[in-house]
Amino acid sequence: MPYDSLSLQRADGFAEMVFAKTKSRTGLVHLYQHDPCRVLFPQAEPGNPPTAVVLTTSGGVTGGDRLRLSIAARDGAAATVISQAAEKVYRSLGPDCRMDISAEVGKAWLEWLPQETILFDGARLRRNTCVDVAAGGQFLACEMLVFGRIARGERYATGLLHDGWRVLRGGHLTWVDVLRLDGAIADTIDHASAFGGATSVASAIYVADDGPSHLEAARSLAARAEGRAGVTCVNGVLLARFLGEAETVRRDLTSYLAECRHLFGGLPPRLPRVWYN
Amino acid sequence: MPARACPLTPMIQDMTMTLTEAGLYRLMTWLSPSYPLGAFSCSHGLEYAVEAQLVRDAPSLTRWLGATIARGAGSVDAALLAAAWRAATAGDATACERVTALAAAWRGTAETALESAGQGEAFVAVTLSVWTEPILANLAAKLGRKIPLSVAVGIAAAGHGIALEPTIFAFLQSFAANLVSAGVRLIPLGQTDGQRAIAALEPEISRATAAALAADLDDIGTATPLIDWCSMKHETQYTRLYRS
Repeated sequence: MPYDSLSLQRADGFAEMVFAKTKSRTGLVHLYQHDPCRVLFPQAEPGNPPTAVVLTTSGGVTGGDRLRLSIAARDGAAATVISQAAEKVYRSLGPDCRMDISAEVGKAWLEWLPQETILFDGARLRRNTCVDVAAGGQFLACEMLVFGRIARGERYATGLLHDGWRVLRGGHLTWVDVLRLDGAIADTIDHASAFGGATSVASAIYVADDGPSHLEAARSLAARAEGRAGVTCVNGVLLARFLGEAETVRRDLTSYLAECRHLFGGLPPRLPRVWYN
Repeated sequence: MPARACPLTPMIQDMTMTLTEAGLYRLMTWLSPSYPLGAFSCSHGLEYAVEAQLVRDAPSLTRWLGATIARGAGSVDAALLAAAWRAATAGDATACERVTALAAAWRGTAETALESAGQGEAFVAVTLSVWTEPILANLAAKLGRKIPLSVAVGIAAAGHGIALEPTIFAFLQSFAANLVSAGVRLIPLGQTDGQRAIAALEPEISRATAAALAADLDDIGTATPLIDWCSMKHETQYTRLYRS
């Protein structure tokens, strides 16, 4: 029986939020959410901009699910968007899970700092993140992937991962990156020249006019990492990558991002609390 | 919502074209180490991989380059070359510009971006002087000469009526052969071991060519974070012979 004729319930979630400067501070001027996507607005921690916490009420996603997230920070706004927990992508019976994340940053500060995505064996995830940062805007983002439920001895051996990034500056395509795992995924992860056995990878990007001027500082931060870490400035995008065991990568990424938001945005050198739970 | 990658569907039955003697002559010329692109100064992060002892002999060099070709920048560049060839063959100038922008943006690190842009610019300069044809000339007139190498080669081949499949094959062979030369110097290896690596990479290049011919730009990507990491670390490597 073809998969489509099975009557499995599939999620089609959507969350859209717009931050703008209202009077003297940033406010949320638009919010739309549709299950299983939900956005919470806890009291921001001291020194932090308004913080949104996105979550998936279904607890995880699977084949056929579609989630969309759209964030905008208008001129003069500052906002932090995080996720409540790690995103679990379950084994798929066939179709891909699609996630589309888009961000639009005016002359504003926006952080998009979701926690890790855990790919269960057999997971099929097609995720595209597209961000357009205007001149004068600052965007700090990360992503972290964990290949399997490592603690249970599970490996991500089959499935599909298509994780794409597109960065535009003022509508002009600036940087593209796609991490793609397909077919014999375990071989690629073990391959001494591909992942070198790393069961987790993470990236952090900073897109802003002053990105290139922070290269040296970012290199010193990455030099403190316990796992493999490297920094480059490609097409004006300050990019850091981390590879290794999930726990090490998480620690390295967390301390790198904490220092970046402090150095580049004048924010406390600490990520929002959920990152440390 | 994110814009999708340029939809450049194959419109030409490129498989039916055969390689003529004139085509072979051009491919051998453009993709030979004597074509002045500055390829000799590029190691694609291999210099750091040797320093970090990830590559230390002929088998590990072959494995490293196999990954670079089949799972790394080689696979993406080959697919971009194919898209550029098809756009040029169809006479679609807008699609040529789109794939140029995509190829310029799709770079893993500062030094691999420099590799592609530097060699592309050199390729355009010499090809426009010696092997003039209008498609590449018009694109360079509009966008400047900083056209990524994969796109410039694809467009020049299309402009000269050279079949796509051998163009991709020759492009990947020259990419691999150049990195083998770098490996021979850096590890170091004997010349014969270097040639053994080139011989061993033939099936990988063949498979990567077939994959690029069938590739949809929305469905490709790299799986070589370790190569990107080496390229990043190379930026601050203390003693270096290579620019990338």
